[in-house]
Amino acid sequence: MKRSLFAAVVAAGLALGPAQAKDTGLVFVSNEKSHEVWVLDAEFNVVKQIETSRRPRDMKFNDAQTLLYVACGDDDVIDVIDVETLEVVDQIPTGPSPEVFAFSPDESRMYVSNEEDSMLEVIDMESRIVVHDVPTGAEPEGVIQTADGSTVYVTSEVADMIHVVDPEAGVVTDNIIVGTRPRRFVLTPDTNELWVSAELSSEIYIIDRATNEVKDVLEFLPPGFRPEDVTPVGMALTEDGDTGIISLGRANHIAIIDARTKELEDYVLVGNRAWSVALNRDESVAVVANGLSDDITLVDMESRRPIRSIPVGRVPHTVVIDD
Amino acid sequence: MRWFLALTLWCALAVSAGAQDAREVRLGFLALENDPRFDEDFAYARIALRPQGDTVTGVELAIEDMKILTDARGFEVVLDEASVAEDALVAEAERMISEGAAFLIVDLPAPQVRAVATAVGDRATVLNTTAPEDDLRRACIPGLLHTGASDRMISDALVQHLARQKWTSALVLRGKSDRDRARADAFIEAAERLRIDVVATREFDLSTNPALREENNIMLVTGGLRDYSVIFIADDFGEYSRYVEYQSALPRPVIGAAGLVAQEWSWALERYGAPQVNSRFEDMSEDGRRMNWQDWSTWAAGRAVLTAYAKTREDSVGAVNDYIRSHRLSLDGSKGVPMTFRSWNGQLRMPILLTTSNAVIDIAPIEGFLHQSNTLDSLGQDEAEFTCE
Repeated sequence: MKRSLFAAVVAAGLALGPAQAKDTGLVFVSNEKSHEVWVLDAEFNVVKQIETSRRPRDMKFNDAQTLLYVACGDDDVIDVIDVETLEVVDQIPTGPSPEVFAFSPDESRMYVSNEEDSMLEVIDMESRIVVHDVPTGAEPEGVIQTADGSTVYVTSEVADMIHVVDPEAGVVTDNIIVGTRPRRFVLTPDTNELWVSAELSSEIYIIDRATNEVKDVLEFLPPGFRPEDVTPVGMALTEDGDTGIISLGRANHIAIIDARTKELEDYVLVGNRAWSVALNRDESVAVVANGLSDDITLVDMESRRPIRSIPVGRVPHTVVIDD
Repeated sequence: MRWFLALTLWCALAVSAGAQDAREVRLGFLALENDPRFDEDFAYARIALRPQGDTVTGVELAIEDMKILTDARGFEVVLDEASVAEDALVAEAERMISEGAAFLIVDLPAPQVRAVATAVGDRATVLNTTAPEDDLRRACIPGLLHTGASDRMISDALVQHLARQKWTSALVLRGKSDRDRARADAFIEAAERLRIDVVATREFDLSTNPALREENNIMLVTGGLRDYSVIFIADDFGEYSRYVEYQSALPRPVIGAAGLVAQEWSWALERYGAPQVNSRFEDMSEDGRRMNWQDWSTWAAGRAVLTAYAKTREDSVGAVNDYIRSHRLSLDGSKGVPMTFRSWNGQLRMPILLTTSNAVIDIAPIEGFLHQSNTLDSLGQDEAEFTCE
């Protein structure tokens, strides 16, 4: 299945096309160790390096995509970047070491995992007051909110579990035991399934949201690697819910799977320790952040081939795309 | 290209929050009263040669880290901790077992580990945390597991670094104690395997006795030889080795007991969640001290036992014992890879950090050192070269 790299580049170039006025198509990459968010345009040219508070990690847009929120772990704040001016315009103080966060559907509240003091913080966006501190297992990381606002899920990397949180009451209502070092989540578009990456047991847990039971455990092994090299972290799903992309960490590949049958479709070689993965708007290109080679790899979703890698700052953590 | 879709529900059952009828799990922790290995009196001039506090903090941290999981599985962990004189160790272990502990984490020198593990036999699993002697691994005492690295694992980590750097020869210096001899022997064995040439092995002396200047004068101890790439020092006490750097006859780096030190853990590790483990430990320790390798070993032992209790489907101790020894353990020691115990000698497979006073230079197994089944088995005596004594 060798295809010419040139063809892939052309295909990707055409697919990306010129960005629309509102949806800038800008690609944002947070860099943990150089304390910057790099901004690339839709053609992946570096536009700007925005200096942030220390250790920027997870990033989320507001619903209007006018503001980008960046969790800065070493300064205990969430920086707010204006997407139009590309400047840091505001800061929201949090508890110690914010890592990953999510918004309630109406954006009135923010749910932040505090890696250092093992709390899920519920922050009121208007008053910026902490409404609840929900105790979690040690090193909480992945946070996701369901579209109806009823439930927040948070992982504990040390306790190997998923906490099911009622965000209104600020209490854990259920716990789901999964594999070793659970990291991140995605929800399927039909909202029936919650996917969780377990980094050190090299598994993706598929949780049935109706019962909070594990219904599938997926494992991956790209050719030439050992099971212990496979450390999945980041995941992305296409909007139609047909295709899933899973970064395999130190196995330096992403896996592309049929999200419905869970059948493997392809492994694609990317950079060193692939973590975050994001899809551009027309889902023609997947952007993968490689934490140990300080670059991002563009993967053409049509040919399933890497197009090129672009150097960014030190230890890229998360990629988001303004579409 | 292989693809698995495994319904491994043994470790994936959903459980409800809050303990149902709380079951008690007793965990023993046994240490030696006035353990000479941690004697602060050696460190005169207030220089902490071995800044070691109470290693039970590592177990306490493991219990705290796992609490939410053990709560969810409906059991309460009770730590049965004792620090007793040498001649009371076996009786104390017996008491812990009679009161219900099925796992004893021990922070003891090798002879005492051997005595306790032999005495308890198959009535409990003993986890050795701080005795690195390979002899103890080769003794193949049933039920004995090791969460501290062996001398050979430490040596292999250093030697991999030398081989990768193409530093092809070493001068070996060692103290007069059994510990130093064991560590130096392990280094020489590891060096032979990767063809690092040991140009000489010399014993050093701490005195200033002019009659012993061939042993105590650093210029003389490190001189009068053909060239070597590095100076390896086996010095458990640490007093001699801290003076060798910058005083050697040849300008060569020092490794082993000073300079580049291979160990299980370092406060300077920045990846794999290690900073969070370090800060949780500092919050919990008696004086906010940093987490040393001995604390990591007791923490890893506690985590291994509690992970096995929490993730075994059956509640029997036999099932917990099977689980802890199986590949399913996938223990997270915040060193980036899942860890399991070796079937042939009960040793925990683990990465070894190559550290300086304030940095982690590399983590062994170093990239490029491969193994037919698990690269972690490039550290320590491998199954094929291992025989019980």
